[in-house]
Amino acid sequence: MISNKLTSVICDELNLRTDSVEINDNTEASEVPGWDSLNHANIIVAIEKKYGVRFKGLEILKCKNIGDLQKLVESKTVESK
Amino acid sequence: MFNIDFNKIPSLLSFDLNDPLLFSSSLFLFLFFFLLIFYRLFANSKNASILLLITFSLYFYYKVSGLFFLLLIFNAIANFYFGKWMWNAAGQVQKRGILILSLVFNLGVLGYFKYMNFFLEFASNIHGGSFDSIDIILPIGISFYTFKSLSYIIDIYLETIRPTNSFRDFSLFVFFFPNILAGPIDRASKFLPQIERDYHITRNDIAMGLMLIMMGLVKKIMIADYIGLNFIDRVFEVPLRFTGVENLFAVYGYTLQLYCDFSGYTDIAIGISLLLGFKLMENFNYPFKAKSISNFWRRWHISLSTWLLDYVFRPLQISFRYLGIVGNVASLIITFVLIGFWHGGSWAFIIWGLLHGVYMSVGLITSRPKLNIYKKLKLTNTRLLGFGQIFLTFNLVAFSFLFFRADSFKTATNILHQILFFFKPEVFLQFAVGYTPTFFLLVFGFLFHFLPSSLFDRSVIILEKTPFVIQALLLSIVIWIVLQVQYADLQPFIYFQF
Repeated sequence: MISNKLTSVICDELNLRTDSVEINDNTEASEVPGWDSLNHANIIVAIEKKYGVRFKGLEILKCKNIGDLQKLVESKTVESK
Repeated sequence: MFNIDFNKIPSLLSFDLNDPLLFSSSLFLFLFFFLLIFYRLFANSKNASILLLITFSLYFYYKVSGLFFLLLIFNAIANFYFGKWMWNAAGQVQKRGILILSLVFNLGVLGYFKYMNFFLEFASNIHGGSFDSIDIILPIGISFYTFKSLSYIIDIYLETIRPTNSFRDFSLFVFFFPNILAGPIDRASKFLPQIERDYHITRNDIAMGLMLIMMGLVKKIMIADYIGLNFIDRVFEVPLRFTGVENLFAVYGYTLQLYCDFSGYTDIAIGISLLLGFKLMENFNYPFKAKSISNFWRRWHISLSTWLLDYVFRPLQISFRYLGIVGNVASLIITFVLIGFWHGGSWAFIIWGLLHGVYMSVGLITSRPKLNIYKKLKLTNTRLLGFGQIFLTFNLVAFSFLFFRADSFKTATNILHQILFFFKPEVFLQFAVGYTPTFFLLVFGFLFHFLPSSLFDRSVIILEKTPFVIQALLLSIVIWIVLQVQYADLQPFIYFQF
């Protein structure tokens, strides 16, 4: 389940309204309007800032969909606590 | 009744450097026909049908590459075990070590055959010494099958796939004859599951396969070979003997020739794979309809551009992510220089790649201001803007291919000089009359490209409803027409040299 916080960071970065897009665990980046290979890095940096965490390169590359990204964020926030 | 010349059998089975087995040759079409029959007969036994495909693939590769087929087998054995070894490795450090080892192995072999002379020349230039090139024969298709195997290894490292336990299946993935010489560079994650599936092809697959084979033959033999041999080669050989008009048409023509040659090959590869029950990845999607360079790269040599996007651009971009736009630009430039370098160890390819890296970077930096300007001028989503974008993108692409094709920087600048300073519009009519078939094929080729893609889909549906006998007749007619137009000996596909 994708949290409202993660959805809103993604939507803010892509100038989307949160109610205009449906993001679930299996949604892939390419399925989100505007999320292309060029602004991918900006979205990742925005998520890191919002949650106050830092991902390893390999951790991000292993994410196949937004569900994996949500799990990664959760694992990092648990670690930092 | 049948006059079989048994003396020809040894030559059918042996390698002849001057007589490779090309998709567009009648021998290949003949052999493929029999392969299909036996493949269908063995359809109930997975082992038999896969072994038949593996044997035919190795025979096919031997016919074009001789003893280098041993290198291909070595590649498959090494990468199969690298994959298993990596998956079973205890920790991340070990996994990384195996990844580095497999990269050194794969890129080392590729580097030796493809780039050794380039690096030696580069080193001797730095030291100011003389350079004698080493006589190294490039194993055909090595860039394609090396990248195919590497994607398997990297995907295991990224844990997006599990390694296969079947060496039989992995061998077929690496050896598969339709895509071994010039792609598409398929991914194991898409190909391996298809091997396990039962052989099943629909009428639509047959119609699509036949349509693609016919299209590929027309593109390759009727358009690419004809305009290449009769016009483009002549202009590129001595550009100063022609006015700007012919030079401009040669540059535009080469862009069309390369597209028809390479996408023609891909069409045939995808078509024959479909008849064998395999779906290969898409490699071209009407590239000259692109409205920007980034869009062009989503339509041109898709299997290579997505490969570099996934395994080079993304890791670089993530590493440089705190640098903002500078990080993106650096990642783009490095990725596109590598795309150029992938084609061969030559400065022309590096310049070509760099040019595309610069195009992409400029496109990225100016994307927001451009949108604002279009809005102010009320051009957003207008036909005029669309036409302008397509025209500009095509010209940028054609300009880059000038360096790709010209045998020296001097030739490229001579061509540009003629176009810019010796452009005689009155010659246009003479060109159209003097080179009528070429002119007709250029116009036909571009017009055909810009037809709506739905026309292709509709043609496939019509072909699907056509009785099998008529389909076979149609294929025979196309082969016959193509053979009539065929100007000289079959020309090897341009991308075989990469």
